[in-house]
Amino acid sequence: MQLVAYESRSSVNDIHLITRVVAGDAAAERELYETYVDRIYRLAFRLAGDDELAQDFTQATFIRAFEKIGSFRGDSSLSTWLHSIGVSVALNGLRKTKRQRNREAPMEEGISIGSSRTEAEPDLKERMARAIDALAEKYRTVFVMHDVEGYTHEEISGALNIPIGTSKSHLFQARSKLRVALADFAPEWVS
Amino acid sequence: MTEDNFEKFLKQTAQSYNAPPARVPREEMWNAIQAKRAAGPRVVYGGGLASDGSSKRFGTRVWLGAAAAAMLLVATGVGIGRWTAAPVSQTASTIQVPPKAVVAPEQGGEEPTGEPNVSAVDQPSYRGSASGNNQVATVAPRAGRESSRASSQVATTNTPSAPTPSSAYQLTTVRHLSEAEALLTSFRQRSNSDQQMDAQLGVWARQLLSNTRLLLDSPVANDPQRRPLLEDLELVLVQIVQLSPGAAPQDRDLIEKTLQQEHVLTRLRTAIPAGPQRGS
Repeated sequence: MQLVAYESRSSVNDIHLITRVVAGDAAAERELYETYVDRIYRLAFRLAGDDELAQDFTQATFIRAFEKIGSFRGDSSLSTWLHSIGVSVALNGLRKTKRQRNREAPMEEGISIGSSRTEAEPDLKERMARAIDALAEKYRTVFVMHDVEGYTHEEISGALNIPIGTSKSHLFQARSKLRVALADFAPEWVS
Repeated sequence: MTEDNFEKFLKQTAQSYNAPPARVPREEMWNAIQAKRAAGPRVVYGGGLASDGSSKRFGTRVWLGAAAAAMLLVATGVGIGRWTAAPVSQTASTIQVPPKAVVAPEQGGEEPTGEPNVSAVDQPSYRGSASGNNQVATVAPRAGRESSRASSQVATTNTPSAPTPSSAYQLTTVRHLSEAEALLTSFRQRSNSDQQMDAQLGVWARQLLSNTRLLLDSPVANDPQRRPLLEDLELVLVQIVQLSPGAAPQDRDLIEKTLQQEHVLTRLRTAIPAGPQRGS
């Protein structure tokens, strides 16, 4: 339902909205927030896997957007611009969190792709989650955005500031690694 | 077919990955955003928002703080300048006095027999007060009334006081000049056919050239004796650096000629204090 609200927006509406926000219209700020918050929050949650972090990232995204909207030049759509801020905030935040966690638990063993079947066999969802977590950041981000959240390659390209071909390549790599990691479950998709 | 199935399977299964809650905490996040923005500096979009009283007060406070900090900085600078000005000017006056003593052996074309006299005047802070004063006293009758007055100034500044702020520079300069002297001596003594030696000297000269240029940009270069010496040394070092291992004998002769014409080695040895503290 939120996607409908998002998708029905036109660039004309965006320009009008931006103009009002830049002029200091508090209602316009709220409107911008309401329009995009769900998508930003969902993506932040998918990347962080934690409600508190997702909320922090979402808030930081909008705070930064309100600060910088005066310099928004309209080279891309408002949605793309906002998502590029959101992804940047989330990935930077996750790196910082990861560093802190590594400092707190340096001896914690890393999770590897394709663990052997001699270990306790987790169910499919858990194996899937671990395999996605183990992907390199650039592959995981594209995979989550495309296959999980349904972003197009054009949107991913704009948000991550990478060429569309690179986005497709990253998705291909991510899927290949996941296929290897989930080889034990091949009957699930071969049949 | 298998590929399509896998993609479908992947997309379906991955929906459970970090699945967000059905309800997005919009109000909570909005309130938090407003609170954070209110706590931080007020955002003004290209002058779109009128500033309120609190931001005015904030601005005034910042300006007052900045002005106070600037005044403190200036006052500190002036204080440091006044504190350091007196010893520096005294040192400068003593350095300007003995140019005759330095030039004398050069003009005569002799080896620097007057070396201790010069170094005593030129390097007051590296010698004991007794020896320094004695040597200056021996200079006085030769140099006449002017030098006599000057030497008395030297004597006063030669007292074993705490090192002046330029002592570090002086020490560095002496070390540098000692090393330059060693290089030039090695250069003169090398064999014309020893290309490996030339290459090593080139590397050494390059290092010394950098330091010479640094010294030329330092307060050491304010010394009217040191500056020409450093400039001549720079010229010689450049020539040695540019000397390729297979250079013609004429190129080496050119360097040799510069060394002789400018008495670079002699002046270097004169500028380096003798004795146990040499080069230390």
